Parts: sequence; C-alpha cells; structure tokens
Amino acid sequence: MSRLVLKNIVKKFENVIAVDHVSLEVEEGEFVTLLGPSGCGKTTTLRTVAGFYQPDEGEIYFNDRLMNNIPPAKRNTAMCFQSYALFPHMNVWDNIAFGLKMRKVPTEEQKKRVAEVLQMMSLAGMEKRMPSQLSGGQQQRVALARAIVTQPDILLFDEPLSNLDAKLRVQVRVEIKEMQKRLGITSLYVTHDQDEALAISDRIVVMNQGHIEQVGDPETIYLHPATSFVAGFIGLANILNGKVIARDEQRVLLELPFGTLWAFGGNLCPNVGDMVKFSFRPENLVQYREGNMNKIVTTVVHAIFMGNAVDLFLDAQGVRLRARAQNTEKFKSGDTVVFTIDEKAFQFLE
Amino acid sequence: MKEKNYSPIDYVLLIPGIGFIVVFIASSIIITITQSFGLLSVTGKSQFTIENWKAIFHDKESLDSVLFSLKMGVLSSLGTLIFAFPLALFLRKSGPGKRFLGSLIKIPQFIPALVAAFLIINLISYHGIINEALLALGIIKEPLRMLNDKFGWGVVVIQIWKNTPFVLLILSGSLASIHDDIIDAARNLGAGSFSVLFRIFIPLSMPGILISMILMFIKAFGDFAITSVAGPIYPPSIALRMRNTATLFQEWDKAAVLGVIIILTTLLITWLYSRLAEFVVGEK
Amino acid sequence: MQEKIQKIPLYIRQARRKQSLTTILTAFFIVVQIIWVGLPIFMAVLWSLVDPDHPWSFPSILPEKLSLAQWVYVFKYTNIVRALKTSYMLAPCAVALSFLLGLPTAYVLGRKQIRGKKFFETIVLLPMIMPGMVVALFLSRVFTAFGLAQNFFGLVLAHTLMALPYMIRLLATSFEAIPQDIIDAAENLGANTFVKIKDIFLPMIRPGLLAGIIFAFTTSIEEFNLTFVIGTPTFETIPTILYSFLGYNFIRTNASVVALIMMIPNIILLFIVEDLLKFDYLSASLGKL
Repeated sequence: MSRLVLKNIVKKFENVIAVDHVSLEVEEGEFVTLLGPSGCGKTTTLRTVAGFYQPDEGEIYFNDRLMNNIPPAKRNTAMCFQSYALFPHMNVWDNIAFGLKMRKVPTEEQKKRVAEVLQMMSLAGMEKRMPSQLSGGQQQRVALARAIVTQPDILLFDEPLSNLDAKLRVQVRVEIKEMQKRLGITSLYVTHDQDEALAISDRIVVMNQGHIEQVGDPETIYLHPATSFVAGFIGLANILNGKVIARDEQRVLLELPFGTLWAFGGNLCPNVGDMVKFSFRPENLVQYREGNMNKIVTTVVHAIFMGNAVDLFLDAQGVRLRARAQNTEKFKSGDTVVFTIDEKAFQFLE
Repeated sequence: MKEKNYSPIDYVLLIPGIGFIVVFIASSIIITITQSFGLLSVTGKSQFTIENWKAIFHDKESLDSVLFSLKMGVLSSLGTLIFAFPLALFLRKSGPGKRFLGSLIKIPQFIPALVAAFLIINLISYHGIINEALLALGIIKEPLRMLNDKFGWGVVVIQIWKNTPFVLLILSGSLASIHDDIIDAARNLGAGSFSVLFRIFIPLSMPGILISMILMFIKAFGDFAITSVAGPIYPPSIALRMRNTATLFQEWDKAAVLGVIIILTTLLITWLYSRLAEFVVGEK
Repeated sequence: MQEKIQKIPLYIRQARRKQSLTTILTAFFIVVQIIWVGLPIFMAVLWSLVDPDHPWSFPSILPEKLSLAQWVYVFKYTNIVRALKTSYMLAPCAVALSFLLGLPTAYVLGRKQIRGKKFFETIVLLPMIMPGMVVALFLSRVFTAFGLAQNFFGLVLAHTLMALPYMIRLLATSFEAIPQDIIDAAENLGANTFVKIKDIFLPMIRPGLLAGIIFAFTTSIEEFNLTFVIGTPTFETIPTILYSFLGYNFIRTNASVVALIMMIPNIILLFIVEDLLKFDYLSASLGKL
C-alpha cells in the first residue's frame, strides 16, 4: 500500500497540453476519482501514474519513492482497463495468474492466491474458460481479479464500467467499493459519469482541460461547487451573474434582472459593487410563501413530467431558470409561478 | 492521443524485409533501363545508344504487341469488374447459403494461373465441350475457334475466370465499409434501388473499383504465361515478345526497351489511378 | 387451403416473395458457380483418367474407359517426380526465409507510427505489382552475374522475393490487430520485453502467421516467371513442367495430371485458411462491445 503524490505533472502530446500542472495527493487506502468530460486529461493522468506515459514536467511519488523513471512493469500498480484487456489466448486462470508469474511467486502460493480471488469474485468453476466464453460482467470480474491478486500498491481504474449495461454498472460499482474498502488498497479511478463518481469515491477530483477544477468529498463537490464548471458538470445548476448592492454581517444583497435576492456569504462575503457569479440547484427553488425573504416571479416555458418529479424550465424577466417540483402538482406553459430560495442555497463561484 | 512511439531502431528493423525487396526490384529496374540504352550490356560492347528505342518504335510488330496487351488489360479489368460487382453487392448481406456460395466463388483464386489456363483451354478448344455441346444442340454448324483466336477472347475468359474472386475480395471490402445507416437514410429520403446503386453503392465503392481495375490491368497487360498458351499466334503479348526477343533472338537490348515500356505503362496507369482516386474521393 | 392463402395480407405476401427471391437468387448463383468452377475441374479430372488405348473424342460425351494409366505414365516417364521434389523443397525454404526477413519489418509496420509508413507499405507490395516477366528477365542478368542463376539458392531468393509481400502484409495486419490495452496490461502486471514477445505477441499473431505461411507457400508453389527464366532447364518445378506440356508438346492427358497435382494441395490449403480466418479471438477480447 502506498500514498500517491503527484507534483505539478505536465504532459504534452505534440502541441496539445493534455495535463497541465496537476498536483494531487492520495492517502493510503483512499479511493480517489478523477472526474471530467472526455479530453480533460483524466486518463492521461492515470496512465502517467501507471508509467505508460512519461510526464514532461513534475514528479510522481509512491510514498517517498520517486517513480518517474521506473518502467510500468516495476511500479507494482494494477490497472483495470475499459476494454478489460484480457489476454484472449489464455484462460481465466492463466489471465489471473499472469501477474504472479511475472513476480516469480512460488507455484503453490500462486494456486492459493488465484483460488482466493476466484472465490472472492464469484468466478469459481470458470478457471478453464477462455475470455471469449464469458459475459461482459464476467470478463469485468476477471479483469478485477487479475488486478487485485498481485496485491498492488495502487489500483488504477480506467472507466472500468463503461462497457456494462446500466443495471450491472450500478451493482458492480458497489462491489468495487466494498472490495477496495476490505483490501484497503489505494485507488485512483477515472470516469466521466458523475453518479458513479459520487457513489464510489472518498474524494473526487474534477478535471477540465488538463487542470484540476476542484478536489473534495462527494458532498462538498455537489453542495459547494467552487467553479462554474464544477457546478455545471455535476448535476443541474442555475448559474447566474449578479451585482452586490448591499451587505450586512454575513449576507449580501444581489441585484438581478428579475429583482433582488439575499444570499448568505459567510466569511467569503463579496464587497458592495462587485460583480459575482453564483449558482444554486433546481431543487433549491421552492414555492413562495408569505414572509419568505426572497421572491422570484417566473413564467413556465416547459414542464416535463419525469416520473418522480416535474422538471420545470422557467423564464424570469429573460433569465432562464430550472426548477424541480413535486409530481403531484400540475403545470402548463405560460403559468405564472412564484418561487423563493433559501439564502444559504447560494454557492459563490470563482 | 498518441505519443510518438518509434525510435531510429525501428528503421533498422525495416531493413531485412524492405531492403531485400528494394535490392532485387531496384536492380532489375535499373538493369532494364540501362540496357535499353545499350549500357551494362552483357552480350556485347557497352555503349550509349538510342538505336534500340528507334528500332522498336519503327517496328510495326512491336506496336501490335503493345496494342494487343493494352486491349487485354482493358478487357480483362472491365470483364472481371462486370462479373464481380453484382456478386459483391449480392454477398454484402448475409443470408442462407451465401457462405457456401462465397467459398465456391473463391476457389479459382487458389488455382495457379497456368492451371486455370489449362482448365479453360479444355473447355473452349476446337473439340472442347462447349463446341461439342453447341454442335450437338444444333446451334452452330462447325466448331468455333475460341482458343488461340485472333482477337484474344480466350485470354480474356481465362483472366476473368481466374481473377473474379480476387476483384470480388477488394470490392467486398469496399462495400462492407458502407454503413447500413447510409443506405437506410437514402431509402428513407426516397431513393429507389436504382438510385441507391448509382448514387450510394457505386460512388462509395469507387476507390475499390478503381484499385481492382488497376491491379487487373497490370496483371493482364504484363501477362506472359496465359497469353503464350491461349493467346493468338500473332501478335504475341508484349511480355511474350520481350522474352522471345531476349532469349530466342538474344537481342537483350531491344528486349529491355520493351521491358521499360511495360514498366512505364504500369507506372502511368498507377499514377492515373491515384489521380482518379483523389478526384473521386476528394482527398488531399 | 386456397382460402387460407387468400387471407394472408398482400404486404406480407410481398415481403415473403422478396425473401424467397433472395433464396432463389442464391440457389441460382450457386448452380452457376458449380458449373463455372466445377465443370472445368471435372473435365480435367476426366481427361486425366482417359485410357490411352481408348481415346476420348467427338462425339462421345464421356470417355469410353477410365484408367489411371495416364497418372502412371506421367510419374514414370516425365520429370514430374523431380519437379515435385524441387517445388516442395523450394517452398519451405522460401517460407522460412520470408518469415525471418519479414517478421521485424512487419512488427514495425504493424505497431509503429513511423514517418513514411505509407511509402514503405507500397514498397512491400512492389513484387506483386511489378510486371513479373520484366523483373524475371532482367533480374536473371543480375543473378547470372553473381552466379545465382541455375542455382537452388538463387531460386530460394527469387521465391522469397515473391512470398515476402504476403508474409509481411499478413503479419503486419495481425500485429496491428493486437489492442494496445493488452500489451499495456501485460506491462502493468510486470512483463518484460522477453515475456511480452513470448507470451503476448507470438501467440496473438499466430492466426496471421499461419495465413502468411500458407500464402507464401502457395505463392512459391505457383511461381512461374522467375523460375522459368532463372531455374530452367537445370531446375524444373511443377508450373514449368505444366508450361512445357501446354506449349510446344501439348499433350492434354499429361497436362491434366500435372494440373491436378498442382491444384489439389492449393484447394485443401484454401479451406484451412477459411477455417483460420473464422477463428478470430482478437475481437472477443475487447469484451461485448
């Protein structure tokens, strides 16, 4: 088990900067996810940790050991590939035992350890099958077994679930999480699926265009996005610009095209006269009641029935807003609806 | 995203294969060219001269051979295309029995050219089964001369028989790369079978059509063996004339001129193809 | 019965008709192909079995009497046995040499994004594209100069030249088909270069290697131009023997026997290749995409 440290990693491909000064620390036994859209540099970062790419700048440490010049075969990481990358000409047993053979583990112990992971991954009895004879989910399990059997210092996952169907994906991600907690292996996980990231991670690293936008545990990332990119990428968000026209101790009064709103700013309260960017979630907009501090008058543009809720597309004096309402309420285009929003629901963005 | 993944060592690794081919092919081309100008002559004195070129260009027989070989090249490439394209279209979609049909069609590709020539000679010879059948049915009064005929139809038939599978292979590759959605989209927009064929299948498989026609042309144009057993008594194919000039008459320099003409025609046709392909595909 | 048919709606009947049209067309093509391919082969078989004492001529539809006399004659009184020996000794040598020379080249062409890749790929095809007789005739001058004409080793070199394009192309394609992930996975699990070659590359290019061997082998067995110019009369191979039977001393029965001798192994190899190409476990490793 290792602590993983990345210091100012830069990786260029020809003239494209894929990873731009990324620094990150992953504690022993921690499960960290790199989350971002395709082309954000998350996979490149992962492959740099595995050693498939040499960083152009920066250092990689496993514990205190500098890894930059260690070849992939000597890093003692184990990677789960998106394509599973099972050796098609070897059966399940040989696939799993491959890493042990490379490490010259004695045959007796190989047998014991392979049998152990087969049991753990519910693959017992399939030792002799070829990868082509397995279902997608089984192939995925073999790939996982092959990775953990070597008792790696760091487990690396490159979108391992993206080839599974939706239901299986949810089930396997729970299994991965449980297995990782049980074995306590430091893990770095790459995905573009925010639900997956929120469900599986101890901490999430949101990446965009090669740099890190925000690092935090799932709740922080969702409830307190630091940048408009994070707010927009994770879940739905209303992202607005407004001007601070007044403030008291910890609150500010924001001026917007459709009126004014009081927002709780805490210690980071902006100054009067500042233009600020802020966000709130659709579910923060709730029906206005007499006495509420904030009041937003909107017109319904579309109301879409989603089963468990109604998704509302609103217009407030030219500003587009999204809201969620209960499925018991009825809306139609052109209705006027008045909302309020709690002063603590606002997130000020960089 | 790809990292530059090669080093100078990789060029060294190319040498055994590429080097071997370059040494042999280049040396044969160089000898052909130099000898056509009287240099590096093995039989007599080595001296620069363009006499051989003049002689060939004034020789009506050589011209006949060139024209005959051009004719064989054009007819063979068109013929195989006409046979192979409908088959390729038909085999594009799988269906019952089509696998078997595909295997059957492939057989001639694995039959050596000379054997193929012999098999067809058997059928089309003066007393071959085709003539006998036509006679028996009373369609003709006396046997047709199809082997060693003046025009060269015998050669064309053999080329088509032997090479249809080869052309089919290339065309099938081209047709397979046309996505079903494109055809469905065309149908959805109102294209009938005829329009789909002429506006979708043919234009999109044009690179395959062109390359197969070129390869067929080169094969048939430079052919020696098939023409020499099934072609007309006169004129001989250019390759046959070249070989006879060299080994029977020991006029290697003149043979070299014919050799250069074959190579140049091949290059010219290949170049024309690449221009045509660029024009059609619109690359570069 | 009649009523039942009437009840099936028109559009269903039309769809069925279209489907059965495809089946009829397939059957039609199969019949045409059986005649187109089968008849010439069948005739050659018949001719090879004609009894010399009962010549087969117009107007009898089939030979009066069949016998193996022609086969016996060809094996006894012609050079066929020597030609068979030469052919089947040459081919393995050419296959082995083209494999040794082609493997490193195929590896680079299949796995590396080198500069000028297209150019090198075109060069590989040259022996296939260049007019055979020109190359044969003027290469023979070079061979004569170096004492390689009328020489077994010279013939091996010539056959290797013709086999190389197939060997390199097929090997390069199978190198190319190995997903990078598989190699990365092996490396990630601790494999060094030697293990990667032994446990990953070699097993995974095996289908391509077998196809390459078969294509190189048949190319060598069929090679005529170079052998004819460089090898004869010292070395006769099956194609040059067949050529002589088809040329100035055309003896149809003998030629039939030689043609069949030359053709049968090829057709057997064809079906082996077919089987090989079906066995594609490469795509299976990519999961159920």
